[in-house]
Amino acid sequence: MVRLRMIWFALVGALWILAGIPALADDAPQPETGAALFQRHCSHCHGFNMVTPGTIAPDLRQFPRDAHDRFVATVTRGRNNRMPPWGDILTPEQIDALWAYVRTGGKL
Amino acid sequence: MKITALLTGLTLSLPLAAAAQTASDLIKGESDTANVVNYGMGYSLQRHSTLTQINKDNVRHLVPVWSYSLDDSHSEESQPLVYKGVIYLTTNNATMAIDAKTGHQLWKSKVDYPPETPRVVCCGIINRGGAIYDGKLFRTTLDANVIALDMKTGKELWRSNAADIKEGYSMTVAPLVADGVVITGVSGAEFGTRDFIDGWDPATGKHLWRTYTVAAPGEPGGDSWPGDTWKHGGGSTWITGSFDPELHTVYWGVGNPGPFNAGVRKGDNLYTCSVIAIDPKTGTLKWHYQFSPNNPFDYDSVAEMVLATVKVNGKPTKALLDANRNGFFYVLDRTNGKLIAANPYVQVNWASGIDMKTGRPVETDISARARAGEKVVVWPSILGGKNWEPISYDPASGLAYANTLNIAGRYKAIPADYKAGDWYLGMDISDMWEWPNGPRGYLRAIDPMTGKTKWQVPSDIPRFSGVLSTAGGVVFSGRLTGEFEAFDAANGHKLWQFQTGSGIEGQPVTWQQDNVQYVAVTSGLGGVYSLFAGDERLASVPAGGALWVFALPPR
Repeated sequence: MVRLRMIWFALVGALWILAGIPALADDAPQPETGAALFQRHCSHCHGFNMVTPGTIAPDLRQFPRDAHDRFVATVTRGRNNRMPPWGDILTPEQIDALWAYVRTGGKL
Repeated sequence: MKITALLTGLTLSLPLAAAAQTASDLIKGESDTANVVNYGMGYSLQRHSTLTQINKDNVRHLVPVWSYSLDDSHSEESQPLVYKGVIYLTTNNATMAIDAKTGHQLWKSKVDYPPETPRVVCCGIINRGGAIYDGKLFRTTLDANVIALDMKTGKELWRSNAADIKEGYSMTVAPLVADGVVITGVSGAEFGTRDFIDGWDPATGKHLWRTYTVAAPGEPGGDSWPGDTWKHGGGSTWITGSFDPELHTVYWGVGNPGPFNAGVRKGDNLYTCSVIAIDPKTGTLKWHYQFSPNNPFDYDSVAEMVLATVKVNGKPTKALLDANRNGFFYVLDRTNGKLIAANPYVQVNWASGIDMKTGRPVETDISARARAGEKVVVWPSILGGKNWEPISYDPASGLAYANTLNIAGRYKAIPADYKAGDWYLGMDISDMWEWPNGPRGYLRAIDPMTGKTKWQVPSDIPRFSGVLSTAGGVVFSGRLTGEFEAFDAANGHKLWQFQTGSGIEGQPVTWQQDNVQYVAVTSGLGGVYSLFAGDERLASVPAGGALWVFALPPR
């Protein structure tokens, strides 16, 4: 009986996970959302569509694509008294959307 | 005997007190070749000097005397002031006094602002300079404060807050002292602010008056804004006004309306894209002239309103000259705001001309289609026929020298939603440039009455430097690639250049001290073009601010 119940739970769990995968995929940060946020908040220093000579603010097309945590920390808290902090304006989900856009190198 | 001594002492002490800086000194600034006491090298903002030691025959020998690091990696757009052998200069993060002969720093007073501030600064982390009066130096801060410093020590004497950065306001303007009042403008039109000009008491920082540049319901011009649109109507005032001490009138340019999407604010949107004539003691509006009613294209009119006497039908007339961002060169009668001349000085397609009777532009279908939401190609682009960089005007030749732009824009209005402190543009910024084949800018000698070019010098990457001209027949300017240049004022022939190490977006000045004529300019890249144009050729120009001072070598 206990075993049957365990199998039942396992089946329900598996179905939940399987059903959950598409839902999770829908929640994944969208570069399009990030692009809109970038235009509004970032482009006046980092360039429209991320195109910039990169002398004043960094050229984000060259930002390391594996440096998610550094990106989030810099956007949230600011850096070097140049990059302003955005943690009080942008949600973690929005910053992840920005990250998804930055990883495209501005090419959507 | 004691009383006599005391009186003598008092008499002797008076010139010392007056030596600080007087209203009379500021009025005479135009012809004072030993100092540079005004923004624009005179209340008229002509940026023209009668000095001739450096002239078109010897300027090729010009050499740097010294350079001073500004310890800053933003755009350096500040105009140096010079008073009694001391240069006063600002950056976004400091104010400095420097010995004009040696480049030795006398004092440096740091300016701090909250780290969030750059979020609401649209077009460069900058400051455009100070004003001096009665022993004090006045300047604005990026986080919208006006401060006064002791010119001898740099010690802060007072600080007054003008606006809240959380609402999108910031300040970069150099103040104007006129009729004993410190006058400042504000930035923020790209962030949905409602902008204004303030008057302050120089002694205490007490707020004296505020004149809004966007009319509210019930005020004259208030009916030019539908619904609540006036609340976020823009109208920035970030370039210093000119002043006619005889007429006791200040002439201040007003910026673009917000949002750019003109369809959501049907009406003329007074007093955006205008010049307003105000009483410096009260801020009361005397007259206004609107260059671009209901403007979609960011044709703000903040840039310098130059005062000059021009002949109209043979009669010398007190005029106001404006190489407007909308592509037309305007000449107004500054006693009443009436239009004298308006002619294109760059390529223009949004209007076919200016109606001389009404003073209003005769718009083409480009403007109507833009307002209706269609994507159009417009000349000039949102950077304008000329951006903020100031012109010079030579009263002897009657020519204006201006760094003009040769860029068209792709424009499409989109909905704008207001959120305090956020960009409030209402324009598709993902595709906005129509670059020409060839030069994106020209340094031009222009006849203000006709808009016609007498000579021009092209530049692939456009110049965004202020211009200085002299009676020595020399026109000074600079390039975003770092070259400080001298041209023959008669024909535009290049006479000299010097590489300053970063891009020049500064405002050159000249003065003569102990029989030596000096020319000074700041170098430091990072303004509106380098931020917005995506011109990757500038990747080879390093940031890094410096003040450079030049003179002829000793004989």
